[in-house]
Amino acid sequence: MMHLDSVEHKSLVCNLKDSLIRCIFFCEFHPTAGPIISCQVPENYISKELFDSISVYIITKPELQRSTITVTLEQYKVLGFPIRIDNKKYARNAFHFNLCFVYDSDARTVQYEHVVTKFSEYLMAMEIEIEFLSSGSTCAKLTPILNQVLTDLNTKGECALTEGPIATHLKVCRLRSDPSPVFDHQVPVFIKEFPPHQWDLTTQQVTPYIDGFNHVARIAALSDVDNNLVKACVQNLVYYGVVALVPLFQYGNVYCSTPKLRTLAHDPELQKHCLSYVARNNRHMPSSRDVFRVYAAMSRGTTIRDLCMRFSFATMKINERKLVQFGVLEGLIRRIQKYPVLVNESLELQKTFTGNYSVDEICCATGMATQQLEDRLERDHNVILLCK
Amino acid sequence: MEINPLSVILVKSDSKGDRLLFRYPFQVQENREISNKSRKNPYTLTVVEETLQSPASYSSNINKGVLSGLSDEVLSSLFAVKTDLCNKKFELKVNDVRFVSHPTLLQLKTKQSEKDDDSGIMLINIVFALSALASHSVVGCYHDLSQRLGIILRHEEKRCGYVSEQTQSMMAAHDDYTSNNSAAFQVILDKCTLGDNIKKLYEDLCTTGLVHLKVNRWITLSFCLPQKAHQWHLRGHIVEPDDIDRCLTALRPYHSLLLLHPVEHLIDFTCLDSSPSLIKMLTQYSPMKNLQTLAADSDLTLSHVFELTAHLVYWAKATVIFPVCATNRYVISPNAPLHQNSPLIEKFSKTFPGLHLIKTIHEFSVPTSLQSKLNPLCNSTLQSSLVQNIIWMLQHHLLLQLHTYIEYMPMENGASNLNTRQFEKALSSHGTSVLSASFPEPSRIELSESATSSVFEGQDGVKHFENYNASNEEKQNYQEELLLDFPDEERSEIFKIPATNTPEDLKLFAKLCRKGYFEGTHHLEEIMYLENLRRSQLTQLLDKFRDVLVTYDSEDPAIAMFSCTGCLQ
Repeated sequence: MMHLDSVEHKSLVCNLKDSLIRCIFFCEFHPTAGPIISCQVPENYISKELFDSISVYIITKPELQRSTITVTLEQYKVLGFPIRIDNKKYARNAFHFNLCFVYDSDARTVQYEHVVTKFSEYLMAMEIEIEFLSSGSTCAKLTPILNQVLTDLNTKGECALTEGPIATHLKVCRLRSDPSPVFDHQVPVFIKEFPPHQWDLTTQQVTPYIDGFNHVARIAALSDVDNNLVKACVQNLVYYGVVALVPLFQYGNVYCSTPKLRTLAHDPELQKHCLSYVARNNRHMPSSRDVFRVYAAMSRGTTIRDLCMRFSFATMKINERKLVQFGVLEGLIRRIQKYPVLVNESLELQKTFTGNYSVDEICCATGMATQQLEDRLERDHNVILLCK
Repeated sequence: MEINPLSVILVKSDSKGDRLLFRYPFQVQENREISNKSRKNPYTLTVVEETLQSPASYSSNINKGVLSGLSDEVLSSLFAVKTDLCNKKFELKVNDVRFVSHPTLLQLKTKQSEKDDDSGIMLINIVFALSALASHSVVGCYHDLSQRLGIILRHEEKRCGYVSEQTQSMMAAHDDYTSNNSAAFQVILDKCTLGDNIKKLYEDLCTTGLVHLKVNRWITLSFCLPQKAHQWHLRGHIVEPDDIDRCLTALRPYHSLLLLHPVEHLIDFTCLDSSPSLIKMLTQYSPMKNLQTLAADSDLTLSHVFELTAHLVYWAKATVIFPVCATNRYVISPNAPLHQNSPLIEKFSKTFPGLHLIKTIHEFSVPTSLQSKLNPLCNSTLQSSLVQNIIWMLQHHLLLQLHTYIEYMPMENGASNLNTRQFEKALSSHGTSVLSASFPEPSRIELSESATSSVFEGQDGVKHFENYNASNEEKQNYQEELLLDFPDEERSEIFKIPATNTPEDLKLFAKLCRKGYFEGTHHLEEIMYLENLRRSQLTQLLDKFRDVLVTYDSEDPAIAMFSCTGCLQ
């Protein structure tokens, strides 16, 4: 996705630090000398002896052509993509080459696989077009290119090769795990500035309603966008780390503190961030002891309504909704969900009381108010409400 | 699942060349639909640039959980590594398969009949093919396994020429069925014990993650793949060796061991040559005993009991809990698999006839202690059955224990920085003395020297200025002395609390504060244990000083990895 370049770029730069390219070398199968390194940047990074012991994984058997191959040695990790060009004009009717990137042996290199592949294919196309690699003085021609790729990828994470008849662009893309599915009852919250890009139409229509309090089903209704499209859009934003999902806020909710709450007392940065986040207005900051006290008071069996009665949030200058939101986002507190479980056989609504669905989910699906459902559950002795 | 091996491959290389001797699994169902048919979006535009270059073909070497697309000859040439790479970790990634092994060189035991024309050195490489998604720690574990196998084979070769004998019969099988690898592998599986061992190895790794082999019916190989072995009790949550290490370094003498199996089963698990102390410990085992008591009862040192605990935890035979007692408060664990169709419901009713799991666990929706569930009229049978219920639920990770943590916050904006630094220093020096492996007996001997001496000085001072007889000043005096190292503004906050008028309370408060117990790293029970205090003493103190101490409940992070919360974000 083009419009997310800068979003991605930030995370990429920090990611790059731990897996820098140490060296790039080009090796080919010489008709008489066998596998040799014909060009290396920086020079003599990989010794001849070392190369000989791993050459079998670099100039490979035909079956392994066009496979990404990574060899991990004690000190280095070598990533290559062996290529063979068949043509009668070559000495052995084929030209074998492999362009390899070298890293520290504990680096993560998966994100470079596509770069190596693309770069190798670029060289292959150059060879087919203008005999770039086989017409002699390979090293002199390749060294500037390899240098450029090495420095550009290490510093910017991308590189444009525009010399010669063909141009190509290389870019290191961080691989992230798939985001988990989004549910109706979850609430998206922006966790960083919404990047001002040319977003797709759905996102443009949906994002104004992401205010940290509307849940997905409500956003769908407000923005007049199909529910599933909203989910897909939110999922996409979650993938790029623009929004995070928190549980629905209600005054009847129960939260509990987690072991992470300790960090709030000892991390001044987090404290500062927290105070400005939960303040009712920017001029009057709440005290950090008050904030900590409220978080500490959140326990199983205590609703936010109870807390509102126990503490005076107005005099403490705390916005309780923001307080809960911050706590959940930072993992200081955790929502205690209620799961109705039906113990005996029965019908209709009770079919959802399997223990798999929380009250939030049921209310969202049936359009029932939480209070209404809870009253009903209280009357029904066959249903047990588990809080976990 | 990416933890399972895709294939186990045995390759040898010697003066006569390299050869893939055996691999398991080798039965590959041939007639299958072509799986690498790429799904293409029919609406995509064909970019001109793409047609010029060859399409990026993403090739996969995994087909339905087994290795595919690489012939035996290729594998053999890949794993017959150069001598430079021998006897160290070997890792190779081809497309989406990662191969890991520890190539081992061994000196063949030469027989008289053979002519000694070669050096008699052979390379044996037992390679595990894994999915490339497997984490570093999984790869590390497989490397370890391969290395151990290499050592065993080297030893067996030296002892009785096992490897030469096995490789020869494997070669013979290959020569008999030159055209049909599958048939040759089948013969090897039937005839060669090494082949059979590899099969068992593969199957054990895929099912339980616990390997028990007797190579050449002589050397036992026991291996545990923790990422897999813990699946049976923590489904869907991958336990990394690092997690276990972290938990084990956080072990304290007041923790206790909770076996996940009945003790009788574990006696079976301990094989013939297992440590006798393990059996000794198991005979004394009870989930109500802490490790210190367990050590005393089984007549072992505490550090050895820690080691045994670590062993049982690593092998997924036990977890660590806080000993079950009346004051423990439990709640339902988040992620507890409690729903109508949960198999646990039936299992529970079978163990405790007449009880329903959901109804029983319902009471733990809010923090509940054993104490609060019992009333004085209850008979002991009810109590013991309740304890049994709780233990059962703890074994299945359905319950979570809450502990109370205390945070010292004298000022509106928390503790002043100076103070925090001081305490951290105190904590670190203190931590080395009390929390080190030696675990000295917790007692009043451990009293903070500075605190006691300052008190005495204070009293001396009181005597000295007796003539002055200003009781107010007297009070002022010892207070000042006691909190000498506290910043002024904090001291004034503390003095607003009426309890500071009682010297005992203030003394205890100052002592605990100095030792860094009020920084959210020690729970109530730990402070009780380390300082030899009663619960009532401590709770009263907390109540008296509640203006500067904030308490909150949470699970013990040290042992939380065993309660399904580890997977929660």
